[in-house]
Amino acid sequence: MATKTRPLRLYSKRFYHSYDHPAPGGPFPAIETSILRVSTPHIPTHGFTNTSLSLGAQDAGYLPASTNLFPRGAFSLVHYYLYTQRLALAAHTNITAADAVGENGYVMGVGGKVRALVWERLMANKAVVHRWQEALALMAQPSNIPTSLKELAALSDEIWFLAGDKSVDSSWYTKRASLSTIYAATELFMTTDKSADFIDTREFLDRRLGDVKVVGGAVGSVSQWVGFTAHAGINVLRSKGVRI
Amino acid sequence: MSILATQRRSLIVSHTLYDFLAPSLVQTIRTSRVRQCRRCLSSTSNAPAAVASDASPNSSKPKKPLSAIQREFLNRALRVNQAGELAATLIYATQTPPIVNSHPHLRPLMKHMYDQEAGHFGTFNELLAKHRVRPTAMYPVWTFAASTLGWGTAIMGREAAMACTEAVETAIGGHYDEQVRELVNMVDEMERQGEEVGEELRELTGTIRRIRDEELEHLDHAVDNDAKEAKPYELLTGVIKAGCKSAIWISERV
Repeated sequence: MATKTRPLRLYSKRFYHSYDHPAPGGPFPAIETSILRVSTPHIPTHGFTNTSLSLGAQDAGYLPASTNLFPRGAFSLVHYYLYTQRLALAAHTNITAADAVGENGYVMGVGGKVRALVWERLMANKAVVHRWQEALALMAQPSNIPTSLKELAALSDEIWFLAGDKSVDSSWYTKRASLSTIYAATELFMTTDKSADFIDTREFLDRRLGDVKVVGGAVGSVSQWVGFTAHAGINVLRSKGVRI
Repeated sequence: MSILATQRRSLIVSHTLYDFLAPSLVQTIRTSRVRQCRRCLSSTSNAPAAVASDASPNSSKPKKPLSAIQREFLNRALRVNQAGELAATLIYATQTPPIVNSHPHLRPLMKHMYDQEAGHFGTFNELLAKHRVRPTAMYPVWTFAASTLGWGTAIMGREAAMACTEAVETAIGGHYDEQVRELVNMVDEMERQGEEVGEELRELTGTIRRIRDEELEHLDHAVDNDAKEAKPYELLTGVIKAGCKSAIWISERV
């Protein structure tokens, strides 16, 4: 019932991104933001729970009962976490710079930057990874799925944008869709990874990115071949005097 | 201060009441979007602007965020423009071989028109990437439809191809004209409110105005090349114009 009476401003739809007139703040009002901000440090110990929220409310100088500001309960904390971590990616200017140098000493291409940014985003979860399955469970609740999916889509859009991808054709969609699936799968894999420095997760991520590269390359080659053959066929017919 | 506050409150109240009681009224007015923009600006900007000027009287004009309606307008405008230029580029590209084959003297004209369209397409591609606007999901559909249209009319002959150009450029020119009008209104409104407009919007207005003029120039070329003599002229141009309008409607949304 509570969700009916006072919904948070859930999600500001992504529109034209203006540089002269930047859009005002995110999906959370000021008081909610102040509570959520100080709730985040409680996540490693108390998880994505109402306990973290009420501890945060106390830290911010409100009554513990102020958690009823959040009709979606602990999911608001998850949403805030996803939102702030997404925006934090822009601070990795060593990756997003045009002449950023990768681990191998060469200037990174768009693919390399995407890989590096995905890795940075995953590493941001390091402190809360033992609690991440709680967050995934909350995200998978039917009423929360729309917000979770939008956050995932916004994350992959952010990563492609920061990586400097400029494609604005159908590949805009396929790129975002494939990155979203890869990210979601890797994030899930990471929750069960016990290896040192998440080396297994890293290899998992590289295998997934490699798969996409292989499939994308094959599709690209086939369509190039079809296009070339069709053009050649038409030109042969034209040279024979057919009026097409 | 209290007067200001009550004024503001009454403005907000009337604003919400208006929306709530008469949503259909808002929608039926043709220029609703412009009016809504004005309403948003006038109902929200009074107090913050006054505060800003009190706090720092010598600072430059305030830069307010664009309202949701304004951003949605720009979003739609850029998306539909890119789709339109994609189609135009493909129409000329597929028209050129059959037309040049039967009428070699049209080669320079076709090349000139194609080059301009390709330039427009590049401009909008850059703008979409820069402003993070989603391209239309109908991209493959428009690619196919525009290629078929260009090739089909070229096979029907020079007059039909020119009639196609005429119909397309009439629809597109009118559409750009509407956009320019709305952008100019937006900029005027910002200036009247004493806000900084910024290079971004001025440049965009200039770009769209220039592109509109070039599209209308293509229209003149088409008419000069006997577009009116195409055989079912009314039917052909009517169908293409209707197609363009529905394509614009769809591309603005998906």
